[in-house]
Amino acid sequence: MRRTWIYQALLLAAIVAALGLIVSATNANLSRLGVETSIDFLWRRAGFEISQSLIPFNANSTIARAFVVALLNTLVLAAAAIVGASVLGLIVGTARLSRNWLVSQLATTYVELFRNIPSLLQIFFWYLVVLRSLPGFRDSLSLGEAARLNNRGLYLAAPEIMTGGGWIAAGFVVAIAAIIGLARWARHRRLVSGRAFPVTVTAIALLVAVPWLAALLGGAALDWDVPQAGRFGYEGGIVIMPEFMALVAGLSVYNATYIGEIVRSGFAAIPRGQVEAADALGLSRWLSFRLVLFPQALRVIIPPLTTVYLNLFKATSLAAAIAYPEIVSVFVGTVNNLVGQPVIIMGITLIIYVLVSLAIAVFMNWYNRRIALTRA
Amino acid sequence: MSTLITSRPPPRHAGGSRTIAWLRANLFSTPLNIGLTLLAAALIYGAGSAVFQWLAVDGQWRGTGPEACPDKGAFCWPFIRARFDQFMYGLYPADQRWRLNLGVGLGLLLAVPMFLPRVRHKGWLALGLAIAWLAIGVLLFRGGFFGLPTIETSLWGGFFLTIVAAVFVLGTALPVAVLLALGRQAEAPLVRSVCALWIELWRSVPALVLLFVAIVMFPLFMPPGVEIDKLLRALIALTILMSSYLAEAIRGALQSIPKGQYEAADALGMSYWQRTRLVILPQALPVALPQITSNFIGLFKETTVLLIIGLFDLLGMVTTAASDPQWLSIGTTATGYVFAAVFFWIFCFSFSRYTAYLERKTTQGQRQMEL
Repeated sequence: MRRTWIYQALLLAAIVAALGLIVSATNANLSRLGVETSIDFLWRRAGFEISQSLIPFNANSTIARAFVVALLNTLVLAAAAIVGASVLGLIVGTARLSRNWLVSQLATTYVELFRNIPSLLQIFFWYLVVLRSLPGFRDSLSLGEAARLNNRGLYLAAPEIMTGGGWIAAGFVVAIAAIIGLARWARHRRLVSGRAFPVTVTAIALLVAVPWLAALLGGAALDWDVPQAGRFGYEGGIVIMPEFMALVAGLSVYNATYIGEIVRSGFAAIPRGQVEAADALGLSRWLSFRLVLFPQALRVIIPPLTTVYLNLFKATSLAAAIAYPEIVSVFVGTVNNLVGQPVIIMGITLIIYVLVSLAIAVFMNWYNRRIALTRA
Repeated sequence: MSTLITSRPPPRHAGGSRTIAWLRANLFSTPLNIGLTLLAAALIYGAGSAVFQWLAVDGQWRGTGPEACPDKGAFCWPFIRARFDQFMYGLYPADQRWRLNLGVGLGLLLAVPMFLPRVRHKGWLALGLAIAWLAIGVLLFRGGFFGLPTIETSLWGGFFLTIVAAVFVLGTALPVAVLLALGRQAEAPLVRSVCALWIELWRSVPALVLLFVAIVMFPLFMPPGVEIDKLLRALIALTILMSSYLAEAIRGALQSIPKGQYEAADALGMSYWQRTRLVILPQALPVALPQITSNFIGLFKETTVLLIIGLFDLLGMVTTAASDPQWLSIGTTATGYVFAAVFFWIFCFSFSRYTAYLERKTTQGQRQMEL
């Protein structure tokens, strides 16, 4: 017992000594380099442009705003890649369990092929080979005026609300309120009478119809900002950079192999009796999948899926390799070269990654608890 | 009064031969299944014919130099042939490359006893191997002794760098990971929380950020005048990362050791280190082995991020070679990446088969113990 305390005291002393040495060496080095560590630079004018920003940003904005832009870019990339990888992974995982031999072999090949190739290599391949091979601006692939795809990016028409935006927003609020009420009522009715109600379909219909009706009644005008062919490329509308597309494609394809395996093992963990019981109750294959198999598989799937999501979030930093403006390339690249405040900038970067990772983990654990079996 | 019914012959297959019965059952049982089969067949045909067209029909397998590949979009073997040595050895001087071949060959040869089941004292053997590998790295790869010219690590690159990084990081991370995992289970609360904090911190940060910390911050931490090689700094950063991942794998294995083993060791009067070294680790490490190798596959793929901080591994060399204006075309870029992908794939796939074999072996062992 006393020995334990001696060890702890020694460890504490070692940590304090190491930290002290590091801090004093860092201070000495920084003062030698003439760097005064402070966070004042955050409020200075940025002086650089960022090629993709969700909030207005230009060279006159502050560096703090550039941080927010970069963080949002990281989060958008992570969200898009998580959705892409999950959808693809669910398809691959269920395909591997298919009774169709060709389909399951194809899915196995997909998993073994893409899991064993580094994700950075796959991102480079999408960016420098696949997207570069797309036609140029003059021969863009197009879907009418709504979408055009060429080797400079994907150009989408953007809805622009001219007047009466309030009516549309109000329509959405009413629709969402109605859906919540409907879901409660349907659940109550099912518990009381055993009759089900098609909530999902009704919810989608409400979500489309109510704002649309509100817009008609209120006389709201919606206009489409269609990309126009300019001198050198399309202008206007929503532009999706090739860097973003390459990253979403590469990260989705790579991580879908892991999610596919997780989904497969999740379904494999369900006792065979459950399938037989669902068959015996006369459920159709789709209903037995949706009501019996999927909810049970989900409980096995969620914990390892959390790890994949965390890895995927961390892998968004690979975007720095192809100059997509996310946290690492903006903070550690551009801003650090500009202001030379490595301590503050690396500190902020580390804290942001730790906090977002923590947030993902907490959310997934909460979801896991919510769907876990509770003893009634 | 009961009579036996004469046994009837088993029902015949519905139609014709076994092959047709198999096809019916597995590919064409329902309309949905027929649709899926056709879809899969179309996918396979589309991908297969595109690859065949790119590789064999349009692809260029003969010749040397950029003129040999007039088709700017197709496969171009002359590009690989011209740059193969760079892909393997980086910018290491051509007349010194025998040192790398010798060193890697020697290193592999020395590692063979580790994989023979009969050999005993593997712990000491591993220590000796680590020292031998370090000696190979310093004496042969870097040089500067026995009349061998010094080759600075800035010239190291290509697949050689990938191997050096993967082996160095695994070799250094493993002992650190064992200590971290033991620390996380220690009785002393301070030791436990410091280890847990350290592991969780680095597990939630991307490798690239840690590499930037090593490149940008590490020089600031050092007393003035002390400079550490850039490659070594990067490898230390990867070691910190890898040891945190491995520590979690080992912790899982430690938790799988029955409590009775600890108590039996205590009853024999063993000290903490005796117990750990003689009883716990020899049981825990084999259990953790599949996890360790699968982490190693991840590390092998992760070494590609080194190119972002300017250390050119295989992928880095391919990227540099493909942007050479002499060769620059989509075809050569694609060729380079496909080559690198095949290379990485062969290694990672073999490791993953090995992992699967280890997993089967450990679960079999456990089953035998239960009997």
